[in-house]
Amino acid sequence: MRSKLAPFAAVVVTAIGISLAGCSAGSSDSGDTVTITFGNWRTEDAALWEENVIPAFEESHPGIKVVYQPTDTNDYNAAIQSQIESGTGPDVIMCRPFDVNRAWITDGYFDNLKGLTSIANFTPTALAAWQGADGDPYCVPIASVLAGFYYNTAIFDELGLEVPTTMDEFTAVLKTIKDDGKYLPLALGSADGWQLSYNVLDSIGPNYWKGEDGRLGLIDGTKKMTDPDFVAAFQAFADLKPYLPEGYQSITYEDQMQLFTLGKAAIMADGSWDVTAASATGLELSVFAPPAVESGGQRYLQEMPDQGVGLNAESKNKAAATEFLEWLGSTDFQKIYVDKVPGFFSMGTEPVEYTNPLAQKFADLKVDALLTPRLQLDRLSAGSPPLDDNTWAVLQTILNDGVSAEDATNKLQTDLDSWYVPAG
Amino acid sequence: MIRAGARYRLLALFVLPALVVYVAFSVYPLISSVVLSFFDSDGPSGSIFIGLDNYVHLFVDPYTSERFWNALLNSAEFFGIHLLVEVPIGLLMAALLTSNTIRRSRGVYRTLLFIPATLSVVIVGFVWRLIINPLFGVVKFPLLGDAATALPTISLMSVWQYVGIPMIFLYTALIAIPDDILEASRIDGARAWQQFWRIKFPLILPQFGLIAILTYIWTFNGFDIVYALNGSAPGPNYATDILGTLFYRTFFGSSGQVADLDLGATIASVIFFIILIVTAAYFVVLQRRLKTYEL
Repeated sequence: MRSKLAPFAAVVVTAIGISLAGCSAGSSDSGDTVTITFGNWRTEDAALWEENVIPAFEESHPGIKVVYQPTDTNDYNAAIQSQIESGTGPDVIMCRPFDVNRAWITDGYFDNLKGLTSIANFTPTALAAWQGADGDPYCVPIASVLAGFYYNTAIFDELGLEVPTTMDEFTAVLKTIKDDGKYLPLALGSADGWQLSYNVLDSIGPNYWKGEDGRLGLIDGTKKMTDPDFVAAFQAFADLKPYLPEGYQSITYEDQMQLFTLGKAAIMADGSWDVTAASATGLELSVFAPPAVESGGQRYLQEMPDQGVGLNAESKNKAAATEFLEWLGSTDFQKIYVDKVPGFFSMGTEPVEYTNPLAQKFADLKVDALLTPRLQLDRLSAGSPPLDDNTWAVLQTILNDGVSAEDATNKLQTDLDSWYVPAG
Repeated sequence: MIRAGARYRLLALFVLPALVVYVAFSVYPLISSVVLSFFDSDGPSGSIFIGLDNYVHLFVDPYTSERFWNALLNSAEFFGIHLLVEVPIGLLMAALLTSNTIRRSRGVYRTLLFIPATLSVVIVGFVWRLIINPLFGVVKFPLLGDAATALPTISLMSVWQYVGIPMIFLYTALIAIPDDILEASRIDGARAWQQFWRIKFPLILPQFGLIAILTYIWTFNGFDIVYALNGSAPGPNYATDILGTLFYRTFFGSSGQVADLDLGATIASVIFFIILIVTAAYFVVLQRRLKTYEL
């Protein structure tokens, strides 16, 4: 009798052991303090948050502990989705702007935040990137990023160059540097499609498609990618080709930064999030805005909502998490944040100062410019093929295979027409 | 003595733990993934059974099918390069290792040649990316940036990494050949070259079938080296997109692409069937015809 049951008993005991081990890893909050987790993709900022931002919150809110829980940006969407689907998501979640987040709202990942007091600190434009279909806010806006052209001031002085204010002057500057031959005019490669789109087309393009006019026109269907304004923007992008370094097809985003920080290239198209990296080698550098099309013309600048923070609908610590969100919406937080994380800009209505000089220069580019987010990310990327990924690939074919601006915009519009029904 | 019935019951009991784990973590997810591919769960009214519509969409929709056929062709190319380059080089290495020319340092070479297979894919990709970087690497030509050379380049990186695997397979088969057979052939007047092709090669022939089918399974399940080098929307213009990255991008979404679970499950099922059918065909048709010799 005993001998027959023994193996069975062993199996049962093992199974119980395994399930107990699983349980013990669960909740372990002590009575007094509540620990909330903050899931996000800013692995680079872990030290800044953990040493500066979170301690400031914990000091003013005793009894709440915040754990910073970053995931690499490329894996972030996948990680959050699988965590939430399996019920193990963090209490507060960093929100991607526009379409990805809209899908997350539709899937019920977030709680509605219209009851949050600090939401009043933001304009509707700032909140728009994280709105649900009902028009309510679902994430507290944390930061936006800008994009422009970094330039090496020493090289500009050496060659006697002025900061270009029109596209013609820009081309002339590039040509002068190329003809001189000592430096590369533009640190830009086509290996990474995303940055051709975000840092180049969405930077110089708004001057052609007139910022929000063109962007919202595409969304409500009154404008097409094949309109002359958009074709001209893609043409301006294609016109940069002669000024790229040799072997640009394989040059990655990281390679560009190296070319620029080693002083080999005069100009680099990049976002404000890289101010720390770009000034790491002590280079003399500054930034200029994407030049206007014509002298005295209206200038447009890309300001992209980058990070919001929302409340996990399945969170077990909602009271504490809500307090954290209230604080993230306050000016107190914004002052600490923009000071400690240079290159990211506050989206609140109250002005804050930037101690990093390069960040301040970026902020200065906003003066007299009309602001607009990236063209592709609002609604136009919610179906297949998404305009976003499609643009990356098309821009690569412009540089690598010599596809014309007309053919490129034509393909994008055709693909968009295959699924997109204008909202207007 | 235990009766036959009790014996089988005991056997079943001992198999049970492994079976439970296998069913829970392998069979069940596989089946539920195939089931998911017959549903549309993104709609407003919850999950609806739509039969084969996802498959029709994948094969016929102008944009989606373009990506799919492109990825399938790229996967086939990825497999072809592995088979045509990795296996002959593995054979050459195994033959050299078992030849008498390098008898003394055999262990050193065997270890050195196998080391890349133990490295992380991320490290292999990164090191090779630096070696062929057009700015400071050994070639000026943008190997990874040109649509024509990008996939062969990545395939060869992977071949470099995994060439040790067929080498070890063939090496163990070669050293398993009894010395008296080789000695007999030498007495009959066979030289090294003849001995290799007439005696050793036929004896290790069944190994090639196994290596080919394993390479097929690995490459059609391939994902990591492409993802490590080019991310989830592998450029230039999807020239290095294989089935694994297409699945990842569709199922999990990429920076600008919203995840589509059903279509992702459909792609996963298609990959599964592609591998299943060929592997089954191999075992039914080919494996039993390969001659094995009693040694």
